[in-house]
Amino acid sequence: MYKFFLYTMLMILYLGLAKTLSPSEIGIHYLQNARGFSKIITSPDTTVILVDTHATGFLIKTYYQKYRVISGYDNVEELIVRTNKDFAIKNLSNIGLSLYRRNRDKEEFLPLPPGSIYLGNNEFGSWKKNKKGKSYWIFNKAFKNFPRYLGWGTFRPTEEFYQELLLKKSQNLPYYGLNEEFGPNGKVTQENFPQFFKEERLKKVELKSLLIEYFKENF
Amino acid sequence: MAEIFDRLIIRILLAFFVCLMIYLYRYAHVIFYPSVKRQVLKTINPAENPADSLHLFSRIVGIAIIFSSITFNESSGFFLSIFHFAVWGALAIILYLLSLYIIESIVFYNFDYTDEILKRKNMSYAVISFCHAIVIAYLTRTVMMEAENSLVILMVLWLYMLVIVGFSVKYFTFISKLTFNRLMIQKNLSLCFSYGGFSLGAGLIIASCFDQEHYDITVYCIQVLLKTILSLLIFPIFKKGLMKIFPVKLGDDRGHEGTLDHNIQSLGYGFYEGCVFIAGALLTTMIVNRIQFGIIYPFF
Repeated sequence: MYKFFLYTMLMILYLGLAKTLSPSEIGIHYLQNARGFSKIITSPDTTVILVDTHATGFLIKTYYQKYRVISGYDNVEELIVRTNKDFAIKNLSNIGLSLYRRNRDKEEFLPLPPGSIYLGNNEFGSWKKNKKGKSYWIFNKAFKNFPRYLGWGTFRPTEEFYQELLLKKSQNLPYYGLNEEFGPNGKVTQENFPQFFKEERLKKVELKSLLIEYFKENF
Repeated sequence: MAEIFDRLIIRILLAFFVCLMIYLYRYAHVIFYPSVKRQVLKTINPAENPADSLHLFSRIVGIAIIFSSITFNESSGFFLSIFHFAVWGALAIILYLLSLYIIESIVFYNFDYTDEILKRKNMSYAVISFCHAIVIAYLTRTVMMEAENSLVILMVLWLYMLVIVGFSVKYFTFISKLTFNRLMIQKNLSLCFSYGGFSLGAGLIIASCFDQEHYDITVYCIQVLLKTILSLLIFPIFKKGLMKIFPVKLGDDRGHEGTLDHNIQSLGYGFYEGCVFIAGALLTTMIVNRIQFGIIYPFF
């Protein structure tokens, strides 16, 4: 009984010390849900885009998410956080979307296409008409790289897109674009966040093929 | 040809220099063990006292283990490389003898060298001392290699190693059925094989905990501490597992009084425990050091 008690105490000591002192535990935020960004993100005019998600572990999984943080007047940063299973799985359908936005006066937590915080804000850009008379959002020169940072590629939002976005926002519903261009099934997201959609990550591993590959590599 | 001949001469000269350092060690030994003056400074007669011979020569094996880790950097000049060896060799001798003195003071706090070796010719004491000499040498060697020619880091790691070894030797009473002090007085050989296996196993585990890459001394010390505690958690699993897989029969079926004690104190049981400890320690080092979990942060 005494030895069992000692062993348990040793295990608790190890877990406690490993949690407190391990380098992998230091410097990485834990995100309970999107509201947790309020503590991490402090700059105004900032949008946080979910870029990738990853799970490690065998029996007890640890979930990580990678975000791209774009601030109006700061550098673009990459943010990796630890999170819980529910939040990670729920947001698998929100890859490539902005999960958090901070304006000067308020915060938003609804999943929306990246860059929606800047649409309609004249500090960042303006609506311009093309030859067919359709209005498109064009960023000012100072923010010319934003479409690349936001993962738009060649996509440019139209005024119609913007109106639909405002409508969904008022209804408190997530928005994936007029033709669902964003999100895991969206063409724009698939083209601009290729890491998440890599073939080897999507394919299901079969035991038979895994064993054949192993024997080919090792013998 | 001239270059090859020159290199051969350098090697021979350096071999002589190492012999000179070992000669110095002979006298340094007397500083820490004044009672062995007779043993060290006069011609040794191995047949007269085998325990004494084992005790002395185990230390020579130990110092050879440590010296084997020091490198000569001939490209920086012959005399400078000799000076480097002299400085680090002297340091090694001092640290090694100090470590042995401290650890033996902890383990043999009830026993005296003069009584046990010179008067009683206690072979059990000599074998345990032999194992200490080898283990401490191996650990000092590991620490010197990890220090990478930095005196400050060497001092920090050496003290750290001593603390861990000091605690680990006390662990024997928890995991062995043998009573150290009683059996040592009885010159029982079962004890020396069991304790020998234990100390060699503990040495292997501690050395493997120290053997890792380091860029920052604080992080390194934390990692060593965590690995040591982890080893303390893993080792009992292997020890229990091995003892369950290979159970031994102790005592008499008819329950004769004293047969259990007699069997435990037999040489066979000493071999059994010693082998279980070494095997358990080797398997523990595998679990602690050889599992690669991979790094996902910040690369995924």
